[in-house]
Amino acid sequence: MIDLGASLLPAQGPITAFVFDNTLRAFESMGFEEALVSGSKTFGCHPYWAEERYHREFARGRILSHDLATELLEDLGDRADALLGFLGTRYHLRLAMLEQPLRLAPTRELEWLVTESDALRQFRDEVSPAIRTKLISRTRHWIMSEWQGHRGDAQPDRAREVIEPVMAGFDFSRVHQWPDATWEQFVLQALWQACLLGVRDAAPPIAPPARPLRHRDLLLEACGDDTDVVVNAMLIRYCAAFCDQGLAAWPLPTRDAGFLSGFRELYGQARGGPEPWLRGLRVALEAHAKDGLTPLDSIERSLVDLGVPDEEQEAFLSQTLLALRGWAGMIWQMETRGDRVPHPLPQGSLIEFLALRLLLERLALAHTARESMGWRGSLGDLRGFLASRAPEPESLTTEQRAFQIFQLAQLRGWRPEVLCRLSLPEWTALIGEVEAFSSIERRRIFQRAFERRYRMEALDALAANCRSQGSSPRHEKPPPFQVITCIDDREESFRRHLEEIEPACETFGTAGFFGVAMYFRGVADAHDAALCPIVVTPQHYVREHVALTFEGSERVRRHTRQAIGTVTHRFHMGSRTFTGGIIAAVLGSLASIPLVMRVLFPRTTAHLRTWFGGFVQPPRVTHLELERTEAMPGAEAGHVGFTVTEMTAIVERLLRDIGLTKRFARLVFVMGHGSSSLNNPHESAYNCGACAGGSGGPNARTFAQMANDARVREALSRRGLVIPDATRFIGGTHDTCNDSVRVDDLERLPSTHTPDFVRLRGVVNDARRRNAQERCRRFYSAHLNLTADAALRHVEARAEDLSQARPEFKHANALCLVGRRQWSRGLFLDRRAFLQSYDPAEDDDEAHVLERILQAVVPVCSGINLQYYFSTVDPVGWGAGNKLSHNIASLVGVMDGAASDLRPGLHRQMIEIHEPMRLLFVIETTAAAIERIIDRNPGIKTLVQGQWIHLAVIDPATGRMALARSGMFEPHEPEQTVLPQARCSRDWYAGCRDNVRPALINPSAAMPAHPMRGRA
Amino acid sequence: MTAFQILGTIVVASPTVLVAVLGATTASRWPMSERAIHRWIFSGVLVGMTAAIAVLVLMLLTGDREVPVEFGQWVVIPEEDFHFHMKFLFDWLSVPFVILSYVLCGTIGAFANRYLHREPGYRRFSMCYALFTLGMVLTSLAGTIEVLFFGWELVGLSSALLIAFFHERAAAVRNGQWVWSVYRISDAAFLIAALALHHLKGEGDFDLMMGAGPWPEGVASLTSAQALFIGSLLLVAAMGKSALVPFSGWLPRAMEGPTPSSAVFYGALSVHLGAFLLLRVSPILERSVILSAAVAAVGVLTAVTAAASARVQSDIKSSLAYASLTQVGVIVAEIGFGLRVIPLVHIIGHASLRSLQLLRAPSLLRDYHALENAIGGHLPAQTTGWSRWFPRSWQRWAYRAALERFFLDAWLETIVVRPFVGILSWCDRAERRWTDWLARGRSRESDDVLPNEMVVEELKL
Repeated sequence: MIDLGASLLPAQGPITAFVFDNTLRAFESMGFEEALVSGSKTFGCHPYWAEERYHREFARGRILSHDLATELLEDLGDRADALLGFLGTRYHLRLAMLEQPLRLAPTRELEWLVTESDALRQFRDEVSPAIRTKLISRTRHWIMSEWQGHRGDAQPDRAREVIEPVMAGFDFSRVHQWPDATWEQFVLQALWQACLLGVRDAAPPIAPPARPLRHRDLLLEACGDDTDVVVNAMLIRYCAAFCDQGLAAWPLPTRDAGFLSGFRELYGQARGGPEPWLRGLRVALEAHAKDGLTPLDSIERSLVDLGVPDEEQEAFLSQTLLALRGWAGMIWQMETRGDRVPHPLPQGSLIEFLALRLLLERLALAHTARESMGWRGSLGDLRGFLASRAPEPESLTTEQRAFQIFQLAQLRGWRPEVLCRLSLPEWTALIGEVEAFSSIERRRIFQRAFERRYRMEALDALAANCRSQGSSPRHEKPPPFQVITCIDDREESFRRHLEEIEPACETFGTAGFFGVAMYFRGVADAHDAALCPIVVTPQHYVREHVALTFEGSERVRRHTRQAIGTVTHRFHMGSRTFTGGIIAAVLGSLASIPLVMRVLFPRTTAHLRTWFGGFVQPPRVTHLELERTEAMPGAEAGHVGFTVTEMTAIVERLLRDIGLTKRFARLVFVMGHGSSSLNNPHESAYNCGACAGGSGGPNARTFAQMANDARVREALSRRGLVIPDATRFIGGTHDTCNDSVRVDDLERLPSTHTPDFVRLRGVVNDARRRNAQERCRRFYSAHLNLTADAALRHVEARAEDLSQARPEFKHANALCLVGRRQWSRGLFLDRRAFLQSYDPAEDDDEAHVLERILQAVVPVCSGINLQYYFSTVDPVGWGAGNKLSHNIASLVGVMDGAASDLRPGLHRQMIEIHEPMRLLFVIETTAAAIERIIDRNPGIKTLVQGQWIHLAVIDPATGRMALARSGMFEPHEPEQTVLPQARCSRDWYAGCRDNVRPALINPSAAMPAHPMRGRA
Repeated sequence: MTAFQILGTIVVASPTVLVAVLGATTASRWPMSERAIHRWIFSGVLVGMTAAIAVLVLMLLTGDREVPVEFGQWVVIPEEDFHFHMKFLFDWLSVPFVILSYVLCGTIGAFANRYLHREPGYRRFSMCYALFTLGMVLTSLAGTIEVLFFGWELVGLSSALLIAFFHERAAAVRNGQWVWSVYRISDAAFLIAALALHHLKGEGDFDLMMGAGPWPEGVASLTSAQALFIGSLLLVAAMGKSALVPFSGWLPRAMEGPTPSSAVFYGALSVHLGAFLLLRVSPILERSVILSAAVAAVGVLTAVTAAASARVQSDIKSSLAYASLTQVGVIVAEIGFGLRVIPLVHIIGHASLRSLQLLRAPSLLRDYHALENAIGGHLPAQTTGWSRWFPRSWQRWAYRAALERFFLDAWLETIVVRPFVGILSWCDRAERRWTDWLARGRSRESDDVLPNEMVVEELKL
């Protein structure tokens, strides 16, 4: 039962190695939309953007009427045409509810709206003039013909009930001279009156929400006192001390005793604080010890004490755990994945956490109920007592229901006369129909339509691009150089710029650990870091060593580094203590110099620091300990590294995956990526997702060295993969934050390749500048017409700026293309696409290569995408809230402000440019092949069938596209066959901060930048 | 007008103009852009700072150690012995302090400009920040107790508003209110002290109160008993503002706001104001040994408890808050022991260091990683310092007490808040009975409102 609760907890480990994962992992077995509903109920978070946000996107053309209509029709199926009396068809009713925003407010605000605002004086702005005229003229006619004189007495009761009070408010004697404005008021008041009365008598169509389960929620409702405040405050302090990985100078002395026993030893002591609610704590803890209760017994006893019946226990325990889900989740992670932290937690800590939480809750509840409600009975009866005191829960009040109908009546032109004539069952049906299409349902359709718009644009663009490229003959001459980058969407623009600058070159994309799963330790690193996807546990170790020539100087430097490090650490800790602080404070005036420098001149300060650091950093010339002599891989000398056979397998696999098996260039640049920024607790989340929050640079370097090994090449050629002798691989790292590119092992490059390298370097440098320029369009603090050089300086300063809350924007992913570059080459995809290279021609009939690619790509990319989805639709609920108030706790996570629950997920500054939509996978293969792969891989199957991702295939032979819709592949019908063209990327995005549509980058394009690029 | 007068006026006027401009444009229909606000703040601080430095240079050149700048009496009610005397004093205490304020406000203002970029509350933050700057300048330069109080209030107000900056979070508002309440207590003490001083001496001018002689050599013209009375009230004021025992609990709570405001307020300037006040009225302290002893005792007690608390905090902001408090305690103790210049140097050094540390707090993980790499292993765990000489059970108690912050907030809540709330709710019940009797029935509509009225959210499924 507790495991079930634990599965709901956020699955994010310590923040130092940020791993992306579907936030609703526990609900993955359901379909996406069902899971959203259950998940948002369980966690109390928004499943979609706010409706208002969708309306904004609708208004600026990011969702078209056409999309709404299509998705609505598809959703309704054959229920679309059901006629609902005078309301028209269900489809039209729902479309009206989508296209115009329906406002809903608390009852008291509605009362104000009705009495004080113009709600009963003027039609809503969205009401069309035709409907307005119709409503007024027909009502006028009705009133004039049937209510003049005493004829009104003959009207049905309901009509009299509605109209008579309204008439009383007007000067009816002058009805003939009423201007339109007066009639407008009359109509509106009659409508409102009719809606109120109609709704009042009709039975509420949907079941009211269930009463909350936890005593705390009921108590909060009844008296406004929140017991979670005190309980959480105490637990947060204790959990933070218990989980601490070395932040506090004085670690928890009772940590070794375990979570609960440690607490007992600490808080069971005499002379505690005066908090009244904790008065019973010592006695309770002693009783625990005396009775020898295990944590499970304790939970059992708490449940009995709180009077929770068996059938509710599961939900009750889950909700109790979720009340402090960040810390509970971290405890669970540190307990189950102890390998990820220096000081793991003992097994069973989460259960002990729950036992303690329930114990504290009992104390707090008893105290608060007594103080605020005068309750002196047992806790078991408290829920019943509170339920009897609180009003019945209602989904909507009469006024709220009536207001919805009132707005619809205006929009759809329902006359007061008609509403008055509705019978009770008709009213019930009407309300039922309206409320069946509640806000959540409307947002669901909006979300689908929003995704549809992007999907259509992206697929159309891919199709059109291929048509335009298809005619161009493939070069037979090998390209001047080839670049292999990470699949990451942030590399999309880098690749595009490389190809724009050097049209003859080729680029490839693959998961950024380049098939090398390893523990890596650099020269200046203290620990081995696992550089591979989180699902893989590496077996191999690779170490970096200083070249022998420099060994002497490195020894001195290492000692200097150690000395500086120790002194800094002493100073750092000392400045927080009593005596050391005095010295620190006296010397502290000197701190004003770095303070002022770093804030006002970040880039200069960084240069200075690098310059000074140069004296103690290890020499740049290093080599990798890559080859193993012993049989078993391991961390000890001799066991470090790979065998030649293993290296061959790695190199072969990667090259076959990306389809690079012939036409090798003289230079192949393997480029991993990482990100470095200051003042950023989430720094590791900006790194390579395929390297578990590490930098992919070492992997690229390792791979290049493997591929250069003559023995590896020989073994490869025996397996039919011939790498020409003239081809050299070099590895490097792209820093996505400051757009620097570092190349490793250049000293090993033969001098014959120097001209090739110089050429590559020129292109890469140019691409860096252009990439920086393209990124800068997103930063509001950068001017829109920065030159490329200024843009590069801007991003460099950002990375070094202490005060920069957005060193770089992260993902904005929406598309994942698995296929030949030919499909996407020359296409402006706005840094929103994961690009995995794959050549179906190199694959076997069973598509085994594709299968192994998808096994890694689908979970990783969809994990990133879904985490982004949830953090974007509700940054406070699912995400980590606002970065500005983050406070690093226990070295494992961040809290909000002084003390709060741990905040897993992504913070608001990170998701700013992301648009929440499920990832669209476009895979170059046949429908039959992909279906076989789906069937063989349950992980992928769950995601596809539950529609957690969208899936489309491009037939490699025909180039036709098909989209998976409810288990079938339907051919994609392009809406647009001609793509806008621009001469270069800059022409297309210039002057635009928002997302930009796909376009064809064609240097010979005649047209200048297309005016329709950004839509509004 | 002499050069001093002109420069002194500029020092005070530039933040005043800043507040006026930001306030007027924020309230108007044409609010300024982020860039414009930033320019105003930066230039306002720069002008003020340059003038302050010029005053310092001029004082060094001329050898003047005390320069008053008069703006006359603003309010005079002779019958009531009441007047509001606008007077600023440039001396060895105020000039370094005002320069420190300007340097930190300027730097951290530049920091905040980028840090809060595109934040919905950017204007609100800037407005509070400008108010704070003005408050700091007025407090530092105050030549009379009423001006000092005015600046003091501005600092308190802007602090509380910025702690509750993220007002969509309940904890931030709760903590902001806690700090505000503590400030009210200390302000009440301050106000009583100011009034008492006016009654005793007929005015609140520091010159006359402290006797002749530039700071720190002045001799107060009060009797020992008068000094003890007024001094104790001022000590309470300082205790509240500087989070000395028993008010220490508010300092970690104040870490709710954005990092730059935490840094400048609770690492650097605001938290030292209590110590500054004690320095300003140091001649009074010298008149009474008991008072000096009390100041020293409060300082030592604060330093010891805060040092212990700092060691056990496992989040960086609380840890830094207590580290800061430790030093403030030491500074206050130094004042109690009769030192004058050393505490001032200590304040300046500590303020610079601590604000840098607070600004860098989010880099902690990266810094630790870099240190580990330099040292070549996990960071050495600290020994538990002097506590290892005590028995284990005592250590454990001390740990718990430090973790619970010596129960100071809980005691305040029990001794002060509960009785206070108790009295008010008794009054409330009495009033309700009275009005119910008058109305012959239930007299309060607010009774029908649920404590947490349900908000319609789109979330409702």
